[in-house]
Amino acid sequence: MHELSMAQGIINAVLETAQANNATDVNEVTVEVGRLAMINPEQLEFILEVLIENTIMEDAKIIFEEIPVEMDCNDCDFHGDAILDDSDHYAPLVKCPECGSLSVEILNGKDIVVKNIVIEKPDD
Amino acid sequence: MHQVADVEVAKNIMDANKRLADKNLKNLEEKDIFCVDFVGAIGSGKTTLVEEIIDNTDYKIGVLAGDVISKFDAGRIEKHNVPVVGLNTGKECHLDAHLVGHGLEDLPLDDLDMVIIENVGNLICPVDFDLGSHLRIVVVSVTEGDDTVEKHPIIFQTSDVVVINKVDLASAVGADADKMVADAQRLNPNIKVIKSSLKEGTGLDEIIKVIEEAMN
Ligand SMILES: Nc1nc2c(ncn2[C@@H]2O[C@H](COP(=O)(O)OP(=O)(O)OP(=O)(O)O)[C@@H](O)[C@H]2O)c(=O)[nH]1
Ligand SMILES: [Mg+2]
Ligand SMILES: [Zn+2]
Ligand SMILES: [Zn+2]
Ligand SMILES: [Zn+2]
Ligand SMILES: [Zn+2]
Repeated sequence: MHELSMAQGIINAVLETAQANNATDVNEVTVEVGRLAMINPEQLEFILEVLIENTIMEDAKIIFEEIPVEMDCNDCDFHGDAILDDSDHYAPLVKCPECGSLSVEILNGKDIVVKNIVIEKPDD
Repeated sequence: MHQVADVEVAKNIMDANKRLADKNLKNLEEKDIFCVDFVGAIGSGKTTLVEEIIDNTDYKIGVLAGDVISKFDAGRIEKHNVPVVGLNTGKECHLDAHLVGHGLEDLPLDDLDMVIIENVGNLICPVDFDLGSHLRIVVVSVTEGDDTVEKHPIIFQTSDVVVINKVDLASAVGADADKMVADAQRLNPNIKVIKSSLKEGTGLDEIIKVIEEAMN
């Protein structure tokens, strides 16, 4: 797994934006994780908690949101969010919700996006 | 007093890799080079397949050989008299487009018409990292167990070709190679599936043919 490098990327993005906005504290971080990204949010959270010690985001609440998988079906005209069959996999099968086909182009769902942060800063 | 503000970041952590993968592909296409990357389980036969392709085709091939900490695979490939760069991933379990970009800098691209990338043995992490290749081939072998394909669906859903290697050992390890073929086709109806025994020389012609079809 590559949770460590992902965690470092997230922290860099947060701290850069925080500094650019003169933040003294980061209270909240929202991270969107694609349902197909090969990372385990629980492990990611654990590593983040270790790495943010002694930074201004040390006490931040980290919120994970799932990004659905967008697809085009090769067997019918469906374009949109896939059905994910995760009955026995963390990384689920991607299926067309219209016709059930597995013959699909996966358009996204592997991204990890730092969406927004809630910061504290001195009054202007 | 302090004020609280909600600030948009909108930074995609995966973008950096994607951008570099696109750059690698552009760089290769400018030089008319076809690029295949092999992913697959540890010990499934990736390096053997690279060696066989070098020895059984006339392409001017350069190789990027990924390994976690060693240069063993690069050393094996060097003996076949082709340019090779060993890429160590260190603490990471996969190659990324950045490492591949530096590897390409060290290959004599002007003298090549094919680049083969051997990824680190891993059926999970490479899924997240495009490298900039034209064709991704996943190599597994019957000795990993015939449930290996169904246990790792995404790499089969996102690759172009699957090679099921070491079929000469299937009965010795009690594995059903045809079950693996059926699993791969069910997971990805568009994937090409080839059974091989690189030891006995079967399947290699078909693998080379699939690569050549993708080149045109
Ligand atoms: N019996 C048998 N052995 C094979 C076959 N193909 C490869 N091997 C052997 O399997 C072993 C591993 O092969 P490699 O080509 O090094 O596998 P790899 O996927 O590159 O391994 P890593 O890079 O370490 O993940 C070697 O001893 C090969 O000789 C085959 O078709 N049948
Ligand atoms: Mg190898
Ligand atoms: Zn991993
Ligand atoms: Zn990884
Ligand atoms: Zn459909
Ligand atoms: Zn660099």
